[in-house]
Amino acid sequence: MAVQLRPASRLATLWRQRRVLQLLVSRDLKVKYADSALGYLWSIVEPLLMAGIYWFVFTKLMTRSLGEDPYIVFLLCAMLPWQWANGVVRASMRALNKDSKLVRSTNLPREIWVLRAVLSRFADFALALPVLALFAALNGATPSWHVVFFPVAVLIQGVLLTGLGLILAPLAVLYGDVERLMRLLMRLLFFLSPVVYGVHDVQDRLGDGLSGLYVINPFAGLLDLYRTAFFAEEWAGWAPLGVSVGSAVVLLALGLVVFRRLEGPALKEI
Amino acid sequence: MQPVIEAAGLGISFRRNRGRRRRLRELSGSPPQTGRRKGEFWALRDVTFSVDPGEAVGLVGGNGQGKSTLLKLIAGVLLPDEGTMLVRGGVAPLIEVTGGFVGDLTARDNIALTAGVHGLSKRAIADRFDEIVEFAEVGDFLDTPFRHFSSGMKVRLGFSVITTLDEPIVLVDEVLAVGDRSFREKCYRRMEDLLSGGRTMFLVSHNVSDLRRFCTRGLYLKGGSLALDGTLEDALSRYGEDVARRRERRAARG
Repeated sequence: MAVQLRPASRLATLWRQRRVLQLLVSRDLKVKYADSALGYLWSIVEPLLMAGIYWFVFTKLMTRSLGEDPYIVFLLCAMLPWQWANGVVRASMRALNKDSKLVRSTNLPREIWVLRAVLSRFADFALALPVLALFAALNGATPSWHVVFFPVAVLIQGVLLTGLGLILAPLAVLYGDVERLMRLLMRLLFFLSPVVYGVHDVQDRLGDGLSGLYVINPFAGLLDLYRTAFFAEEWAGWAPLGVSVGSAVVLLALGLVVFRRLEGPALKEI
Repeated sequence: MQPVIEAAGLGISFRRNRGRRRRLRELSGSPPQTGRRKGEFWALRDVTFSVDPGEAVGLVGGNGQGKSTLLKLIAGVLLPDEGTMLVRGGVAPLIEVTGGFVGDLTARDNIALTAGVHGLSKRAIADRFDEIVEFAEVGDFLDTPFRHFSSGMKVRLGFSVITTLDEPIVLVDEVLAVGDRSFREKCYRRMEDLLSGGRTMFLVSHNVSDLRRFCTRGLYLKGGSLALDGTLEDALSRYGEDVARRRERRAARG
């Protein structure tokens, strides 16, 4: 196996190594649940707590003029995918460092460490979905026919996060500031993304110009698509979704190039 | 016969200081400059050699002369800044042998994980499981978390798993220095089996008798460049001369 590989053949090598990837992801789950009594609860506690707080503030303390009823379902629809995204951003920045010994002793295509972060966090996301279903059932929310787009949204987000992770993983090893900077940016992005409110709320309040600017955020169209699974009327049109799909593809292509270029320098540092 | 390892004009540089700052220029596509920036040094440079299947090569040289770096380049866990390293076939690296293990998982899980990460199929792992355990002498501790293992047990298990892989190239970096005498004997026998089975082997050791026992060919690395590529005896005697000369010079000075 030649060490220098073209992007396409690297993808082929990755595909051949999918069993290793599966092994790594299941190991992550095993380690997570091996020593904790609460086990499964830990993967749902954070999104649930976050959603609970916003639900409390917006429906109990303030009179809510954003979003839809039932608000807790509205929140969770976007909160769970957001937690996946946030988790991947955090995990990918430690993807090469965390198991540096393993990374240093195996000649796997190193993109695999990023993919592992994406998939491990996806497993958490998937495990938290029953909570959404439970709250929907308790509040009498029924899925719209848009729910068929749910897997599409997952796919778009998977591509987006892989691209992002491929860029962040080597950068975080090389530049110490990246991790802190990203933590800050993700907190900002949380409020700039339609999690506690919907894309429609932005369009209603900001007018065409500003809301056009708003949907440049790839998470706008993406989270909106998730949300239509329960709230079909939240569908904000093709433009935001187009931005999400476009940026996912661009980020993945960019990620593959950046990762390849920075892999050598990053390996020297871990 | 096609060589299994071909290194051509191989070079890799590291930064002397441990600062993390990098230049954004490295993001752009400019080819690496030949003159390096200040604060960088070449751990290896202009190293060219090729190895045929079944050869046993001993790497000779003092500390910090690039031996381990060369092994890592062969293993593909470091990438060259200059030149090319072509390796045909997989590599079983006895470098950081315990690296793949997770402290929180049991020995049983760890064997499956590490062997799997190195490309062994589930079936093959199941078939060889008993052999791995028996060789490592950890049969009574299969369900013990790995972090409770003694350092000797960790290395034994690591050696056992890695040498069970089917890879045609085996890299050995000083692992023989650890373990008690009886286990070392077992390791020697395992390595002889690997060699007689047609594997290609690279051995880094400061122990001359270890090198003599396994290797016929020698590469002598000095200051990051390949000072000699010949028989092991040639490499050892050149290395010996250099060490003696340095000692004389130091004696003359002091």
